Amino acid sequence: MLNYKKGQVGESITWIVATLILIAILLVFIYLSITLSKTKSLNVSLKADSEDSVNWINSKTEMAYSINANNKNKIEEWISLEGKNE
Amino acid sequence: MNRKGTDKILSIYWFAVLTLVAGGIFAMVYIFYGAPYDVRGIESEILAERIADCISREGIIDSEFFVEGGFNYGIQNSFMDKCNLNFKVEEGYGDASEMQYFYEVEFYTINNIESFAFSFNGGNTNWKEECFIKKESNKEYNRLAKCTEERFYAVDEKKEQYLIKILSVIGKSEKNVKL
Repeated sequence: MLNYKKGQVGESITWIVATLILIAILLVFIYLSITLSKTKSLNVSLKADSEDSVNWINSKTEMAYSINANNKNKIEEWISLEGKNE
Repeated sequence: MNRKGTDKILSIYWFAVLTLVAGGIFAMVYIFYGAPYDVRGIESEILAERIADCISREGIIDSEFFVEGGFNYGIQNSFMDKCNLNFKVEEGYGDASEMQYFYEVEFYTINNIESFAFSFNGGNTNWKEECFIKKESNKEYNRLAKCTEERFYAVDEKKEQYLIKILSVIGKSEKNVKL
């Protein structure tokens, strides 16, 4: 009778521990999904990131150079200040 | 005799575990897919490009920006219609009371690149100051407006040189940032 009760207690503890482990795993995954949800943003830039791609705004400047290319260094220097005060 | 009772309890336990796991998976999916994508950065870039496209095509500034040898100061009133821009698009999303966009265009002459010769703007001017706050990566700073500054060079029909600076700002933090 005593042995039977001991077995029951042991089995109950096993299930309780298993449940706690399951809850812990679920909480870890929920925490991960919260962390991942905070990183959701589109970081695509329309600006050209390689020599092959064309920046739409820069193409306007290039076309203007083909009409009047005076003061090119001064213009390039001014354009390079873009976003410095953002 | 006890075997039946144990089986019953075990069945209830399995249903409880099943509910727990299903609830957990539902919570994970809801949290991840319920969070909005922050598209304001690319939206402000697109707005700046649309404005630039409206001002200069093929490197030449549109003649409507000039009148009798000077700048056309009346362009501010007609710029939105001219460029087919409509900022009143947020009705029904809770942002109708406050316009969520701002733009500013500055023209500099080649002889004076320090201070602009002509400027005009549109939209909600309250957003502009948020562009000059140093942004740090925490929740409060993420709620600040997203800004894009574009600079380019163009000439008028007389081949006079102008430098143009566009600032475009998108508010809309309620729709793009999770509270």
